[in-house]
Amino acid sequence: MSLEKQDDFDHRTWLKRKDLTPIETVFLTALIYIDKRLRIVDYLELLEDAYYKVNLQMPKSHTEQYDLDNKFWYWYPLYSLGFFSVLAYIVAAVSGALLGFYYSPSAAGDPTVAYQSVKMIMQDVQFGYALRSIHRWAAQIMMAAVFLHMLRVYFTGSYKEPRELNWLLGIILISLSMVFGYTGYLLPWNQLAFWAGQIGVEMALATPIVGEWGAQLLFGGFTLGQATLVRMYILHVFILPFVVTALIALHVGIVWVQGIAEPH
Amino acid sequence: MSDTDDTNETRTDGGEPATDGGETGIVAPDDETPTWQERKTRKSGLSQLTYEYFERARREDQELREESDYVERDVLGFPTWPHEIIRNGAISLFFVGMILLISAALPPSLELPANPSSTPSIILPDWYLYWSFGLLKLNPLNPGLAVLDGSKLISDQLYGVLANVVVVGAVAFLPFLNKGSARRPVEQPFWAAIGAGGAFFAITIAAIAVQNLIPLPLALQLNIAFIGPVVLGVMTYALLKTLREGYMYGLNRRYYMLRPPK
Ligand code: HEM
Repeated sequence: MSLEKQDDFDHRTWLKRKDLTPIETVFLTALIYIDKRLRIVDYLELLEDAYYKVNLQMPKSHTEQYDLDNKFWYWYPLYSLGFFSVLAYIVAAVSGALLGFYYSPSAAGDPTVAYQSVKMIMQDVQFGYALRSIHRWAAQIMMAAVFLHMLRVYFTGSYKEPRELNWLLGIILISLSMVFGYTGYLLPWNQLAFWAGQIGVEMALATPIVGEWGAQLLFGGFTLGQATLVRMYILHVFILPFVVTALIALHVGIVWVQGIAEPH
Repeated sequence: MSDTDDTNETRTDGGEPATDGGETGIVAPDDETPTWQERKTRKSGLSQLTYEYFERARREDQELREESDYVERDVLGFPTWPHEIIRNGAISLFFVGMILLISAALPPSLELPANPSSTPSIILPDWYLYWSFGLLKLNPLNPGLAVLDGSKLISDQLYGVLANVVVVGAVAFLPFLNKGSARRPVEQPFWAAIGAGGAFFAITIAAIAVQNLIPLPLALQLNIAFIGPVVLGVMTYALLKTLREGYMYGLNRRYYMLRPPK
């Protein structure tokens, strides 16, 4: 057996035979070098496959299927409302993350540490006042955009087949967004926060069968206190951000795959 | 890199249209690699059905794509860069700027600290929960039953919670109630009327949440809250019915030629 390397695929001669520019030579040499060791061609193929899958569209859009040529509709500007919800959500997330550096969820003391930390944010922290304002307004505007987005989906009939599941997902999203807002509303632990929490507990307790369990789970008991505040805090900064972000991604992903519903 | 002398194209799937996914695996399919077709025949029961369906679905997509002129048509859309990116970026910046402007102009206040021993006269959540809060305050409508000596079958709080469940449930159920392919409100005046009335109800029921700020007797407020949306719905219906004929005529005649209304 010869020690000389037997190479069926003599890439070097192949490279020489071709008339390549220096850039092409360097690229191919590097590619072949890496591929010999890591067999990246397989992964490139996977990537390519994924690339085409990502760009998948439903085979024919509605306007094409029915050969309609008026492709603009005066409702179209309202189709940006979903995107505006996403934008406002992002603004709220960023400002909320910054607020998180200064807020402390503790109901100890009088007035409570939580209340005082919000006060500190508003009076002492550089731009703290602006930060809290931006966070609140971004949340409010997101809710407004979501409501209007839902109305546009309703009045353009976009919830019909095959988009029923996205409508249901939307209902879940809007509900979770409201819980998001509610839990955030309780965090400053001021009068309105406390009494809104009180009503929440009463409503939970009024629900048959699961009520007491739900009150324990969400509010940490039947009277408001430290446990309530911490639960609201964990929901608001730890659980809901991840869940809602993931669901928004899924929601928009489904729109991506299905395409925007078109008018006639 | 125009030189293709060494390329030897090998067909590995026997010339059938490649709808069976056999070409996308990491290992190039050879005689040993089962195609979807073969995998299907080796399976039975549910998994066979699954493979059969996948094959059908892929073939259907493939055929539709082949007869579609979507990819080949002259103007597919504006290029992503620069047109779409700059336009979307401008709109996004404007929107975010608007949020910042409003925040700067109208900063929030911080109320008094929580005091469990003094109930404020007005307890309100954020505005977007008013509708739900209003539904919680429907206790005047909770019927007392004569058989129970006028006492109520369910507590007022539970009544409010149920009202919320019913409203959210009804909205969630919408796609299963209104089917079909109509998209424009004029095509379905009834559902447009439901929508307009429903959106208006969200506002009137929110007013019930702040009932003690409104200088009207509660009974009148409740009447307005429930009758107002119905009136608006009826008006919407009448308006759309009236407009419908003229509107649809000019709208898209070809649409009706292609898909006559049911
Ligand atoms: C967190 C809240 C939400 C976000 C961030 C969001 C985001 C989006 C985005 C970006 C789109 C693409 C089209 C557009 O912008 O209009 C979309 C479409 C859609 N959304 Fe939402 N959405 C939310 C809530 C909802 C709600 C509450 C509903 C209804 C109950 C809903 C139902 C739908 C449906 C059915 C579509 C497809 C519409 C079409 O294909 O024309 N979404 N959403």
